[in-house]
Amino acid sequence: MAQTARSASVYFGKQASHPPRRGILRKALRVIVLLIIVGIVLTPFYISLLYSIKSHSDISLNRLAWPQEPTLNNYVRVIQENKYVAIGFKNSVLTTIPTTLILLLTTSMASYVLARYNSKFYKVMYSLFISGVLVPFQCIMLPLYVNIYNMGLASTNLGFIIARSGFQVSISVLSVTGFVKGIPRDLEQAASIDGCGRLRTFWQIVFPLMTPINVTQLVLNTLFVWNDYSTAVVLLREDSSRTLPLAQIIYFGENMTELNLAFAFFMLSMIPILILYLSTQRFIVAGIMSGAVKG
Amino acid sequence: MTAINPIRLDRKRKLTRYAIREHGGNILFMLPAFALFAFVVLVPFIQSIPVSFTDKKAIFAKQWNFVGLENYIKLLKSSSFQDSFLHTAHFTIVYILGANILGLALALMIWRSCRFNNVIRTLLFMPFTVSLVAATKVWSYVYTDVLMPLTGMPSPLGISSQVIYGLAAIAIWRDMGYCMLIYIAALQSIPGEYYEAARVEGANFWHEFKCITLPMIVPAITANVTLVLSWGLRCFDYSQMVINMKAAKTTAVFVYEYIFGNSRAGLGQAGAIILTLVLVILSNIVTTVLRKREVEV
Repeated sequence: MAQTARSASVYFGKQASHPPRRGILRKALRVIVLLIIVGIVLTPFYISLLYSIKSHSDISLNRLAWPQEPTLNNYVRVIQENKYVAIGFKNSVLTTIPTTLILLLTTSMASYVLARYNSKFYKVMYSLFISGVLVPFQCIMLPLYVNIYNMGLASTNLGFIIARSGFQVSISVLSVTGFVKGIPRDLEQAASIDGCGRLRTFWQIVFPLMTPINVTQLVLNTLFVWNDYSTAVVLLREDSSRTLPLAQIIYFGENMTELNLAFAFFMLSMIPILILYLSTQRFIVAGIMSGAVKG
Repeated sequence: MTAINPIRLDRKRKLTRYAIREHGGNILFMLPAFALFAFVVLVPFIQSIPVSFTDKKAIFAKQWNFVGLENYIKLLKSSSFQDSFLHTAHFTIVYILGANILGLALALMIWRSCRFNNVIRTLLFMPFTVSLVAATKVWSYVYTDVLMPLTGMPSPLGISSQVIYGLAAIAIWRDMGYCMLIYIAALQSIPGEYYEAARVEGANFWHEFKCITLPMIVPAITANVTLVLSWGLRCFDYSQMVINMKAAKTTAVFVYEYIFGNSRAGLGQAGAIILTLVLVILSNIVTTVLRKREVEV
């Protein structure tokens, strides 16, 4: 925790800097090595893009060559021919957005209290929240599924939203609390001296200061929910309730012959997340570094 | 007889009322998160323990018998459970070592903040945004279409003895960027004077790494190792994608199959409890061992 508090100083203080070792050859070597590593890491993205814009005959002729005629036809066909793509998209959007918003509101409030109070009660509450990190989903899935089924929420978006946000609370509380501990208290104290109420102090003063970690949490939780497979496969058992990862598995299983279509589907489900990540990456990278987030 | 000071009493009562309001407000602040947590994690976890001591079959079975420790004994003797556990352990070890060593190596190369390094960081973290399902599927083609023509090695996902390494490589590819970011944060928080002092004394890179960097980033190592440990032990998606490979079956898949596929919920639940216990014990060991090596700034 000490580390967490210290690294939040990225936002509230200056960074440490070590003297660099010099040498042009050394520098050039470093750049080349890094570019090679990045090339290797990005290969799967390149392959997916390549396969998704090749025609069927092109892909069977020579897989790795750049396509003779790049085409977006595969994307159009995937959307038109497979109704599960549309259903998957609809369900994934309708579950991901509420889950991340619920998590944002509930965990930021809880973490604020947990970070600011140190008496025994709050320590116990904190440990209770954090202990959830160590419970694998496989351990609770049976009773959770039965409870959700009995409430009539199995195979519904609402059931998935509740389960996914509840399961994510521990991890979010852990990282947000770590961040809040690094925020100076001066502003809150000034506000309360000026007669500002608890709720107002939180919303108008603390919450804006939490923006870096909140954006990080928003995006990370979006990733976790959008990409979730193990929760979805247990709770969403009807075709109409499938999210994208479930639809993907079935689609991949059925379309082994038409690789180009399968990869177009894969790219379609990845593009929204990639756009979100690349547009917020400055926050994400800094936010993870500041919160020592556990996911 | 003690005289009661009216002013003091008054102040005390005011403080109490204030305290009640304060703590009441705090509880209301924590309530929504706690309600979600309790409904999804806490209550089901408490419910799950008794199930593991019964011979409950289907998920919704109304009748079951209490069988004591029989499920646990059966599982510990069962070779398919032992195998699944070995696969999980094997996967987790490779995954922890790979993600942390590569993550730290990358962090050492690009921990300084400048435009070039920031771009590299963003790109190296990108695999983390891909779903495990898609990652495994795409990698199966990277193995067959890129790696095989280049090196002549057949895809590890098709060979029983190598499938765990094949899956671990995918997991490392996906998550080393995450470990890297945490290591970068730790490296940035080391005061630069330590290195200046070491350099005056004539220390080389290796000395600096061993005597300054490594001891200073122990908290980050603890965070990363426990994190990757818990991800590794609950590995489900990767292994589910190569489900026809018996050699890739992890404990999480075993549990899922017993509860939802084979209708032997009691037995599956016992497996899940064992998995949880192992996770709790191992992460406690890791934390205690590494905490001892932490140094204060």
